[in-house]
Amino acid sequence: MNVAAERIERLHVLAREATVAGEAERAREYVRLARRLAERQRLSLPRDFRRFTCDDCDAFLRPGRNARVRTRSGHVVVTCDCGSQARYPYGE
Amino acid sequence: MALTPETLPRHELNGLLVEVVDAANPDLVGIAGRVVLESRNTLHVEDVRDGEARVRQVPKESAVFEFQVTDEAADREKRSGTTSKLGRDTAGVRAGQSGSGDGVAYVTVDGDRLLSRPALRSETAGDSKWR
Repeated sequence: MNVAAERIERLHVLAREATVAGEAERAREYVRLARRLAERQRLSLPRDFRRFTCDDCDAFLRPGRNARVRTRSGHVVVTCDCGSQARYPYGE
Repeated sequence: MALTPETLPRHELNGLLVEVVDAANPDLVGIAGRVVLESRNTLHVEDVRDGEARVRQVPKESAVFEFQVTDEAADREKRSGTTSKLGRDTAGVRAGQSGSGDGVAYVTVDGDRLLSRPALRSETAGDSKWR
């Protein structure tokens, strides 16, 4: 694992902690930095990072706190407080 | 590539404990706490004093930072014997054990070495054409 991948992992943890501590804006900065690193280093972000961050406002999502998670047929809809929705399929 | 004193200048600084040991501005010396944000030219350090947290913005230029690196990375550092108490090695990173507890290494880094956009510090390739 190279330095960049490790940095992304650390930023993931930091973003979660910052959100829990109520520093949502700081968490956004961590998410943005992690995305920028992945972009520059041509790495794909870990799946749980992609699932728990908002594509539109870069917020770190905590279901029940700043994200709504509802199941529809065949997919889950995650709605961020900013209003953007992400749909993730689930198979059977 | 774990976070070791060697990789620290290219690694994530956010979340690390740091102390400003030297700076051109004497008011900045002694600021200690967690790095909460990094910009191209500064570090934002959350300094907790008298139970009151305050985020201080410290310019990297002309400052010397002492980072606290914990756990396995520090242990490896001790075993490999790269620790040098005197002076700076060629990498410009000096790891000096200040002897306060096991599994902790104190890494002194010249702030000039950190002058770079946070996302570009990890890059190993030469000058990017995309500026």
